[in-house]
Amino acid sequence: METVPLTHILFVSTALFCIGMYGLFTRRNLITMLMAIELILNSVNINFVAFNKYLYPYKLDGIFFVIFIITIAAAEAAVAIAIIINQYRTHQSIDVEDATELKF
Amino acid sequence: MGPISLIALTLAALLFSAGGILVGKLFNKGSKNLQKGEAYECGIPTKTSPWHQFNVGYYLFALLFLIFDVELVFLYPWAVVVKKVGVTALVEIMVFIFILFMGFLYAHKKGALKWM
Amino acid sequence: MNALIFSAVSGVIMMFSSFLLNNKNSVRVLAHVLLLATIIANIFELRGISFFHIDTRGMLEFDRFALLFTLVANVCTFAFFLLSSRDLEKIGNHYSDYFSLLFFILAGIVVSSSFKSLLMLFLGIEILSIPLYILTGSDKRNLKSNEASLKYFLMGSFSTGLMLMGIALIYGATGTFQTGITVAEKVPVLLITGMMLLLFSMSFKVSAAPFHFWTPDVYDGAPTVVTSFMATVVKAAGFIAFMRLFAEEFGSIRPEWKLLVGIVAAVTLFIGNITAVFQQSVKRMLAYSSISQAGFMMLAIYSLSNDAKEGLILYAAAYSLATIGIFAVLVRMKDYTFEGFNGFAKQQPFLAGILVVFLLSLAGIPLTAGFLSKFYMLKATIDGGSLALAIFAVLMAAVSVYYYFRLIQSMYFKTGNATISGTTTGFKYTLAALAGITILLGIFPNLLTNWLYF
Repeated sequence: METVPLTHILFVSTALFCIGMYGLFTRRNLITMLMAIELILNSVNINFVAFNKYLYPYKLDGIFFVIFIITIAAAEAAVAIAIIINQYRTHQSIDVEDATELKF
Repeated sequence: MGPISLIALTLAALLFSAGGILVGKLFNKGSKNLQKGEAYECGIPTKTSPWHQFNVGYYLFALLFLIFDVELVFLYPWAVVVKKVGVTALVEIMVFIFILFMGFLYAHKKGALKWM
Repeated sequence: MNALIFSAVSGVIMMFSSFLLNNKNSVRVLAHVLLLATIIANIFELRGISFFHIDTRGMLEFDRFALLFTLVANVCTFAFFLLSSRDLEKIGNHYSDYFSLLFFILAGIVVSSSFKSLLMLFLGIEILSIPLYILTGSDKRNLKSNEASLKYFLMGSFSTGLMLMGIALIYGATGTFQTGITVAEKVPVLLITGMMLLLFSMSFKVSAAPFHFWTPDVYDGAPTVVTSFMATVVKAAGFIAFMRLFAEEFGSIRPEWKLLVGIVAAVTLFIGNITAVFQQSVKRMLAYSSISQAGFMMLAIYSLSNDAKEGLILYAAAYSLATIGIFAVLVRMKDYTFEGFNGFAKQQPFLAGILVVFLLSLAGIPLTAGFLSKFYMLKATIDGGSLALAIFAVLMAAVSVYYYFRLIQSMYFKTGNATISGTTTGFKYTLAALAGITILLGIFPNLLTNWLYF
């Protein structure tokens, strides 16, 4: 059976990373921006797992790093949603364009 | 077995789903009533639009669930090696669970788990 | 290890203190006592006595550099507690939680200053940032605070993403997270790309140009007490992590990044100083001044010598103490603009005198700690092989004198009615002690730097 070469997986993860980056810069809805950040983090996860599986299969470093990333991402998402709820309560909107207090 | 089989499978899947929709369209009488446009066609009629604003308490629960749910992922690698490592592993996971429990206790004390 | 465990446990204790103690004063005293215990435990470890023996599998290494910086950070935090803990309680109802978040940040500082593995770098930086996102937005009714925390979160998590991608690529190139890689003749492209991504993300965290744009807004929007902590201790910790990362992980591929770091340092110095000149609010001026001081600290990473290590510790101490002092006065002022300080010296001659010491230290006038730390940096830069960068830094320091002296000018030579509230005697004496330390370190820097060696 033929295996998928490493470059293909790296291609997927790079594409995800770029999509996340693009989403973060172009979207104006906070929830969507949060999703873009999650995309970036998940692309990194794919990278770690792929490198671990293909290049260094005798150790599990990369996979453990992924576990840490997942938990930290959850903590970050919790804080982010709390911030967004607070933003909604004060601005009645979750559009970043409406957050104009700090523009100088 | 080769790429041909994959293409054949894809075609078959497309045909099957498209055929189902087509047959449905052909033999549909087209009944119209109030319940038809609803998200669930059975049960109690919904009172308001589903895009209703939820109470913020729901989010609090969701956030707590998110955090404690994901922290559990550390238990999987632990479960794989617990027999090999022995008592040390047991003590360490106890410390870990204890720290999580402190977080839970804090949330409970702050009243985050009180319903409304 | 002592400081790490002590501060983490202190954080948990502070979390529950609001249920156990029903008095603001006792919560505050408890926080002071816990921090003092952390400092003492850390001094014990500096003397070679560690209370805990935990196998970290080589992922953390508590060498003297890390321990000394932890001590500096803890002492600065203690000064911050003494000066501003009452103002911290004014932010909102959850006063004990602010203390516990600060303790968690201290734990993150220990991890990120003593990492030996990239995993620990990532965890340390995150433990340090996530409580800061919360603290930035802790003034919940204030729109500015909300937006600042939002902006900080977006920028922070973006840079975290970059950092993770960098670590992933380095892992792909080397197969290990331990720092101290050895490379063959030809440096792999993956490693270079990962190094660049890490450079960018660390520049984000320490707000070096061209990744500084979030800094003034966030520092301006956050509650002033929090800004005071964020701009000093946390930023210094970021630099220590930056320095460790580049000294240990990328030390062997130095020719690849030296020029780039030099450029970043120069641009940071330029942008920070030039923009600070045009500010009308003292708080924003201090935000830009923190960027320009970051430029100076970047010089340490550029040169990476022993002088640079000593200088960075000294710089962290001098800059943090002076800025914490200025912010402690600023919090109690009614008007944050330069005009708000008009005639300050007439009303509060003692406080004005102390402020002058801090401002002189920031500007780098001799006999203050700020001068010697800048001197160390310049010496290290010249030894590191770039006279031009050192000359440029001196020029920019001369520019910085303008905006620091502008504050002195409005305090002493302009008439007005500056209003300040809540200056107790204890507050004044604590400030005076900080000023004393600033001058003492300016004359005998060895008091601090000798701790690195014996």
